[in-house]
Amino acid sequence: MIVSFKDGVKLFGLSIVSCCAVLVCTMFVNYQQDLMGIADKITTETAQMLYQAQISMGKVICFISGCCLLSTSMVLMLFYVKHYIDMHQSVLGMYKAMGYSSFAIAKHFWIFGVSVCIGCIAGWSLAYGICPLFYQAQNADGIFPQIEVTFHPSLILFLIILPSLFFICVAIGYGYFKLQAPVLDLLKERKELHRRKRHPKKEKPSFLQGLRQSILWEKKVLVFLMTFSAFCFSSMTQMAFAMDELASEMFAVMLMGIGLILAFTILLLSLSTVVRTNRKTIAIMQVFGYTDQVCQRTILGSYRPFAYLGFLLGTGYQYGLLKLVLTLVFAQVEGIPEYHFDIGNCLISLGLFLISYEMVMYCFFQKLKKVSLQSIMIE
Amino acid sequence: MIRAKQIIKSYGTSQNAYPVLKGIDVDIPEGTFMVILGASGSGKSTLLHILSGLECPDSGSVIYQNQDITQLSDQERTAFRKDTVGFIFQQYHLLPHLTVEKNVQMGADLVKNSAYHELIEAVGLQDKIKSYPSELSGGEQQRVAIARALAKKPKVLFLDEPTGALDEQTGRSILQYISELHQQWGFTMIMVTHNENIAAMADQVVIMNSGKITQVKSNPSPKHAYEIGW
Ligand SMILES: Nc1ncnc2c1ncn2[C@@H]1O[C@H](COP(=O)(O)OP(=O)(O)OP(=O)(O)O)[C@@H](O)[C@H]1O
Ligand SMILES: [Mg+2]
Repeated sequence: MIVSFKDGVKLFGLSIVSCCAVLVCTMFVNYQQDLMGIADKITTETAQMLYQAQISMGKVICFISGCCLLSTSMVLMLFYVKHYIDMHQSVLGMYKAMGYSSFAIAKHFWIFGVSVCIGCIAGWSLAYGICPLFYQAQNADGIFPQIEVTFHPSLILFLIILPSLFFICVAIGYGYFKLQAPVLDLLKERKELHRRKRHPKKEKPSFLQGLRQSILWEKKVLVFLMTFSAFCFSSMTQMAFAMDELASEMFAVMLMGIGLILAFTILLLSLSTVVRTNRKTIAIMQVFGYTDQVCQRTILGSYRPFAYLGFLLGTGYQYGLLKLVLTLVFAQVEGIPEYHFDIGNCLISLGLFLISYEMVMYCFFQKLKKVSLQSIMIE
Repeated sequence: MIRAKQIIKSYGTSQNAYPVLKGIDVDIPEGTFMVILGASGSGKSTLLHILSGLECPDSGSVIYQNQDITQLSDQERTAFRKDTVGFIFQQYHLLPHLTVEKNVQMGADLVKNSAYHELIEAVGLQDKIKSYPSELSGGEQQRVAIARALAKKPKVLFLDEPTGALDEQTGRSILQYISELHQQWGFTMIMVTHNENIAAMADQVVIMNSGKITQVKSNPSPKHAYEIGW
């Protein structure tokens, strides 16, 4: 077996993200469907208007969370497949050298799609667990006639089977594409060396500067993921605070939960990759006598500016989005307060972010300190 | 003076421990060039790792100028390596994502040595300065590792098979260069090799056999790299 089952299931981060995506989509789509079922029973004009707003709102939420989470899952999976190939280059190269075709190897990569399938099933089941509560909350308003949870089998096809198949195909296709590299490049672990254009600078970068640049440059996806993680944290928590005031507590809790899960899953996943891929570098730096603090500042610290950038972007994004949704979608509905940027919420969110980000960094610093010199000596 | 006393080291679990070093005693005066010979698997690399503070023995001590490095904390040992040790690994261990120049700078920057270009030139890699390790031949990589270790101007240089991948011509010239620096800078040098001829260059030769030192020979008249056989 080229890819062990364990390698595939290790991607629980991916399962969590796809679980969130399917959870949100199942709940809302199911509710939409049921709501549309009673459309002709809605008579009063206010109820009609609210019905329209509810439908648009559902679409927006499904679209945003579905698309956003789906693309995150995709990035995570591709990132993982690439990482897997990078780490196992010599073994995969050996298979190719022995005459296995790229496709024969790549088809084993279907396992990477399995974690998405697991996540989808979990999200879907969870959704039907929460649905009664969700319906109860919605029914409590008393604006629409009472709605019962109805089971829509088509959702199994659209939210479990098709996404899983899609991810499996992409994993195989991407693996196939990556394995097109010449056999010797794989065997000798020659990375695609990204030669940067050198600026004719007077001052030469030091070793540590060079190392920092190469770390960021070699794994640009990681930079993206770190930024994105902070982006999720900032936008989702602030949106949750706003929702608590504007809409229902239910929304707020859900958004907050998804935001935090997403942010931390991605952050932990990226950081453990950083530590794993730089193990050798860290060990050799230790041999030469670079202190743990220097290693940490150079290797983990390089990502800090991007995390804070992500937070900033997230703040802007949530403000823009809420403003847009409230002015466009709910323009006609009365009683919706105007939305203003809330600096207090932003500061609370920033504070939470600061504390949790630095705490996670500290934990990884401890982990990085434990990289033993021995572990690379026997390689 | 580096003094190792009763070094014992085994690998594996405590139930089926596999002894690698079985009580090593050795004295290495400052500025000496010592060669360690021995069959493959006799524990030479392991001894080198312990003497240089990369690894701790199960028991015994390694004393540098009255300081027992086996008793130091991890942090103190890191600082010790920074100030004292240069290491050339049998497997080179270059950083794959960095160019030859940056790899050498890794050593040079630690001691603010800005003259590292001379070293790259001396090992004959001035044309490959912007190449990455995966684009170099085995011998070229080995020479980068040598330049990197020398660039930090160590007080004690440990070399694990530094000429294993080099042809006679290149091997001799590199050895000659290292021994010139050895004279000039006065560092202590401890080299593991399979090439018995190189032993003729050393002040002291230690022969190891399955985890023990079986013989220590002094050499009153060490030869030059161009005078020895190969
Ligand atoms: N980390 C380790 N775990 C288990 N066994 C080890 C480890 N490191 C070394 N050994 C064992 O210790 C013995 C001595 O290894 P060492 O690398 O010191 O030999 P050597 O004399 O340098 O050999 P060579 O000349 O082939 O390099 C070997 O039998 C090896 O299998
Ligand atoms: Mg060895």
